[in-house]
Amino acid sequence: MVSLMRTIRSVRRVGLREWWRQMQYIGDAKSGTYIGKDQFGNRYYENRNAEEEIPGRHRWVDFAQHDYNATQVPPEWHSWIQHIRKDPPTNDVVLQNSTPPWKAPYVENLTGTRGAYKPYNTVVPKIKAWEPTVKSRA
Amino acid sequence: MSLVFRAAASHAGRRAAFSSQLALTGQQSTHFPARLAASDKPLRAAYRSLHTSKPVRLAEQSQGAISSQPGDVPAPRVAQEGSLQLSLETPQNKAEYVLSTLDKVSNWARQGSMWPMTFGLACCAVEMMHMAAARYDQDRLGVVFRASPRQSDIMIVAGTLTNKMAPALRKVYDQMPEPRWVISMGSCANGGGYYHYSYSVVRGCDRIVPVDIYVPGCPPTAEALLYGMLQLQRKMRRSRQGVLWYRK
Repeated sequence: MVSLMRTIRSVRRVGLREWWRQMQYIGDAKSGTYIGKDQFGNRYYENRNAEEEIPGRHRWVDFAQHDYNATQVPPEWHSWIQHIRKDPPTNDVVLQNSTPPWKAPYVENLTGTRGAYKPYNTVVPKIKAWEPTVKSRA
Repeated sequence: MSLVFRAAASHAGRRAAFSSQLALTGQQSTHFPARLAASDKPLRAAYRSLHTSKPVRLAEQSQGAISSQPGDVPAPRVAQEGSLQLSLETPQNKAEYVLSTLDKVSNWARQGSMWPMTFGLACCAVEMMHMAAARYDQDRLGVVFRASPRQSDIMIVAGTLTNKMAPALRKVYDQMPEPRWVISMGSCANGGGYYHYSYSVVRGCDRIVPVDIYVPGCPPTAEALLYGMLQLQRKMRRSRQGVLWYRK
């Protein structure tokens, strides 16, 4: 529901600086309540007013990194932003209490960098390359 | 045998290197309960924890004690530390600055209009069509299917590549203009998949053409394929051909 009024309203709410950032990264002038921030510095917002945001676009993330992608959202916030859980992880007591202490820290998809996952084999290779040996000549 | 051991040793070394890097990021970034531990104590106590044993509780508390510090070095940056790619992305003089900017412009142009050559061979092609349809809507990324290899720059190999089809695939690939990329979609195209032991199937289309992105799945969802396209965009964005040419 992009309209001039909505854009002006959003700019008045968030300020020019934030609006410019939104146009660079989100591509839309959005305004809503600030829900929280994850450990990577991504900020999460919600606006449940159907007059202002189309249902389905009412929860969004403002990524911290310039080169952003969806895997930078940690699983707890993913479950909030995709409506798997109703409450954000900052308020979700069930989620907090069921977080196991042995849980590994979340790392985004590092494909294409040196941190990319590379599977390795631990069994003896089935194919043996021919290593030619030259017999000594008399 | 010594070869095997050497390979294993190098793997172990690499693993150690990565684990140390990741541990670094893990140390800097903490979980969200850290912030809540202090404020929601009474609230948390009201709910029964799923863990009943005392040591686990203690571990939970110690984990919550780590303070969170936002604004750390992001994980991809840490993973790239000391790599050639990072060196290419950091211009060292004015000429390199100009060239890397030009590279970025060309990367932007390329990633904004990826025209895939559809090589739909089997059921994966149906998912590929779903990516083009209204829900996933590839057109918003500038991805438009092009039926001619001479006017496309990506080939999506969707489905089982048979021995009989392989020469045709290679011919179509050769007809595509440079720069060109290949996305291998689905288990069959990745490595033969279900038909790996068949007499008439190529065990992975990377035996025929060089592959940039492998999308796993049988078949991969349209979402997965779209994510593969996004990964290919990332790959395009990394290109610094001008700087590479200048440094050589």
